[in-house]
Amino acid sequence: MESFLINLLNGLSWGMLLFLISLGLTTVFGVLGILNFAHGSFFMLGAYLCMQIMHIMPSFWSGIILGPLVVALLGVVIERMLLRRVYGRDISFQLLLTFAILLVLDDAVRIIWGPGYHVVEPPALLSGVFTIFTRTYPVYRLFLVIAGPLVGLALWLFFQFSRWGKIIRAAAMDREMAEGIGIRVPLLFTAVFALGTWLAAFGGALAAPHQSLAPSMGERIIIESFIVVVCGGMGSFPGAFAGALILGLFESFGTVFLGSAQMAVPYILLAVVLLIRPYGFFGREV
Amino acid sequence: MATRRRGKNAITLSMALLALVACPFVLPIYWTMILTEILIMGLLAMSFNLLFGYTGLLSFGQAGFFGVGAYTTALFLSKIGSSLTVALLAALGTGAIAATVIGYLCVRRDEIYFAMITLGFGMMLYTVAHNWLDLTGGSDGMPLMNVPALNLLGREFSFFDPTVMYLFVLAVTALCIFFLWRVVCSPFGLMLTAIRENKQRLAFVGAGVQNLRLAAFVIAGALAGMAGGLFCLFNAMATPDILHWSFSSRPVLMTVLGGSGIFFGPLFGAAIFFGLKQVITSMTENWMVFLGIILVPVVVFFPHGILGSLIDWIRTRTTRTS
Amino acid sequence: MQRRFITTLLISMALVSLVLAAPAWSAKTVKVGFVYIMSGPFSAYGQFAKKGAELAVDEINAAGGINGHQVEAYFEDSTGKPDVAIRVLRKLVFQEKVDFLIGLDSSGVANTVVPSIPQMKTPLIITHAATPDVTGKVCNRYVFRISVNLPQNVKAAAMLAAATDAKTWTTIGPDYAFGHQSWEYFEKYLKELKPEMAFLPKADVAFPPFKTTDFNPYINKIMQSGADGVLVSLWGGNLIDFVRQGQEMGFFDGKRQVLMTLGAATEVLSALGDKMPEGLWVGTRYWFLANSSQRNQDFVKAYFDRFNEYPSYNAHGAYGALYTYKAAAEKAGSVDKEKVIDALEGLTVELPVGEITIRPEDHQALSDVSWGQTAAHSNYPIRILNPVKLFKAEDVTPPVAESGCQK
Repeated sequence: MESFLINLLNGLSWGMLLFLISLGLTTVFGVLGILNFAHGSFFMLGAYLCMQIMHIMPSFWSGIILGPLVVALLGVVIERMLLRRVYGRDISFQLLLTFAILLVLDDAVRIIWGPGYHVVEPPALLSGVFTIFTRTYPVYRLFLVIAGPLVGLALWLFFQFSRWGKIIRAAAMDREMAEGIGIRVPLLFTAVFALGTWLAAFGGALAAPHQSLAPSMGERIIIESFIVVVCGGMGSFPGAFAGALILGLFESFGTVFLGSAQMAVPYILLAVVLLIRPYGFFGREV
Repeated sequence: MATRRRGKNAITLSMALLALVACPFVLPIYWTMILTEILIMGLLAMSFNLLFGYTGLLSFGQAGFFGVGAYTTALFLSKIGSSLTVALLAALGTGAIAATVIGYLCVRRDEIYFAMITLGFGMMLYTVAHNWLDLTGGSDGMPLMNVPALNLLGREFSFFDPTVMYLFVLAVTALCIFFLWRVVCSPFGLMLTAIRENKQRLAFVGAGVQNLRLAAFVIAGALAGMAGGLFCLFNAMATPDILHWSFSSRPVLMTVLGGSGIFFGPLFGAAIFFGLKQVITSMTENWMVFLGIILVPVVVFFPHGILGSLIDWIRTRTTRTS
Repeated sequence: MQRRFITTLLISMALVSLVLAAPAWSAKTVKVGFVYIMSGPFSAYGQFAKKGAELAVDEINAAGGINGHQVEAYFEDSTGKPDVAIRVLRKLVFQEKVDFLIGLDSSGVANTVVPSIPQMKTPLIITHAATPDVTGKVCNRYVFRISVNLPQNVKAAAMLAAATDAKTWTTIGPDYAFGHQSWEYFEKYLKELKPEMAFLPKADVAFPPFKTTDFNPYINKIMQSGADGVLVSLWGGNLIDFVRQGQEMGFFDGKRQVLMTLGAATEVLSALGDKMPEGLWVGTRYWFLANSSQRNQDFVKAYFDRFNEYPSYNAHGAYGALYTYKAAAEKAGSVDKEKVIDALEGLTVELPVGEITIRPEDHQALSDVSWGQTAAHSNYPIRILNPVKLFKAEDVTPPVAESGCQK
């Protein structure tokens, strides 16, 4: 029983982290139409910058607030200088451009911070363990289980009820129309990309106390968030939530039941979903 | 008029082929080896371009078929002990079979979904290669313990000689590329281009769009498998990494570098890629950064690829009003 | 028009290749090629090896070089992939024309690449990859290894395990040959020492995939399994994540005996700092404080002065390999590849780790193995080993017949 509970918590904590990151990816795709290969690199940068800031101001909270903001700024620069030029083009160019950005960012992190491993400590408030029956479980992971939906809820409320949220959704649905009624779409795009980047970096900073930092830590994230986004439906908020939850749980319980086939779980999920529902659970025809 | 042009093209092609055949005798050994790699990856890229440039399908899973071909050759040569021809034809065959099964499931989807589902299937093949310890040797890959000798006209040539390996690879790739050329020029090939241009209209006219796409996918898969078989022979190994999605990005990269609109574009893209790699790695060990930095302007400013842009530029300089 | 274009392209290709093919004039030097993982998640290993190699090159050159010629070192990145490794090996042999090869971190890469080494006709000393097969099933005339291999390290672990009172053993290791073989050999050796020892079946042990960052499910599985002894063959980033997460879950509460085959690697110890529990038995291929010889002290001091950190086993491996090559070249009186190979067989040389002898039958070096218990020490920022237990080479090295090598 307690084993089941622990696996459940594991799946949820990873799933919620994945949800935040995938949310960024899916929002960017929904509004800008770009699938950002470098999203995983922003995740990694968020973690590294959090660590770096903590060297200057030894508080996890400063790291997690400032780090992602810096990365979001980088996202703004990238969007204005590079992505803007390929908006109208074939999707393969956009993928390749973001892939090139991934190459540059990943190697840059290795050059700046070195190839070795780095470690980030969770804040005192959230460190330590609590007991479930006879077993201990880290408090920080529980924090992840709660933080994910909270941030997600805040964003959802923003998109549903605030003026800016509605504008973003309008621009996502029909770009030309939105421009026609006077919305400054280019500015909006920059803002949305910055938001997406911030989400990835925030996810990275959240993940930092929980896994060791190394260059290429974005690799796993990018493939899994791609899968979540595609399975959940491109541009769909609830889709990202459902997809991330399902993937997280499958992976966690998969380690127990599937042995070495566990590696294939994300891809099998992807194939099955796409075969049954070609646009993902909640997706619409683009 | 047209025959004269075709005659000229045939002459230039023959000259190019002759130059390629002469290469190993004038270049240092190491460059011969690089050229061999360019040919193998070029074949993979050209098979990819059949789907991308001609049919309008972006496949992120070609590495899967490449890997299937490589492992097939490794298995046939190491565990079954068959001859070279059988092993390579088996690579072609398994590539085609895998592509038929996977293609049947994939071709219904469009654009980004097609890319994602091919990525997914490619990664599933990767997982099999990575985890099935008994069959594939697991994550360490499978070394080719007995590289066969080439039996030609009664004489035996060893593949350990880089020149022999190169010429063999050149012969096989030239054959495959010639086959590809015939496909592209045939009515079938024209239909593929029509699919890329306007899928709906084609469907209205009654052409079986899905079947055409599937056929293209199978051909691409078969050729990718053959390239994989050659790879296995050249490196004396098959490893799971060649099925990973990041390896699938290579033919995409090479095609974009070279230009997807020209038949030989991907092959030139492969040459550019390896040339760039050589130059960059001789100067620094941070080659990924520089590859990314170079790739960015290429993608942004050269939508027709480097070769494509070069040809456009030459064309604008030399147009005659007639 | 198109013909003109193609002709220009061909001519320029020819010119470029002529320029690049022109051999550079240089004085006669001894060229050594190093192939390690320099990029990606495991680049720490290659970078450490490079440091050790650079130190050795400078020391040797300052003392007159090898047989009077200065040493030139070429470093190439294997990226941990066999096909890349073979490409750079070919580059070193055919383009840079090196006289000698040193390298290979990954056991997987080594296994797949070693069968192709004979066609390059250049000797290779392996300094890190521990798979028994390279001096076993796929051994050949050109490949040597001076570092401690998997069976040697695991035999020492088995001897330690036999001395504890754990009755049932399980394992957690990376899901590739290294993890599986570590367990296989451990079971075999421990059974020989204590036939009544119990081992968990395949379904109950843990082999997380290499890319795992979340070890909680596996930690859970082991803690549930009821085993009171655990062999941990995780390494690098995996080990760091595992130790941190294990701490949180109470894995190191003393209810089970834990042996970490690669726990004393300096990059792991530095990253963990005082998060590494004390009192765990950990092994490594070289521990900088194990050997009190002058040779070792000089090496550690020189390394620390130059790089401001203590030498890891990788750094020692590359350093030691170059000195071994030097000794062989001096014994042979030349750097001719075949003569050096003959000289290497049976060679005894003193390295910082101690005196090693290269067995002629399988080209594996006989080297002492050290394990120790983690302990805090005020002089050092990382956990050190105290006490250190030294296992003599002849006690832990399997006999040639067992290795499976037939050259």
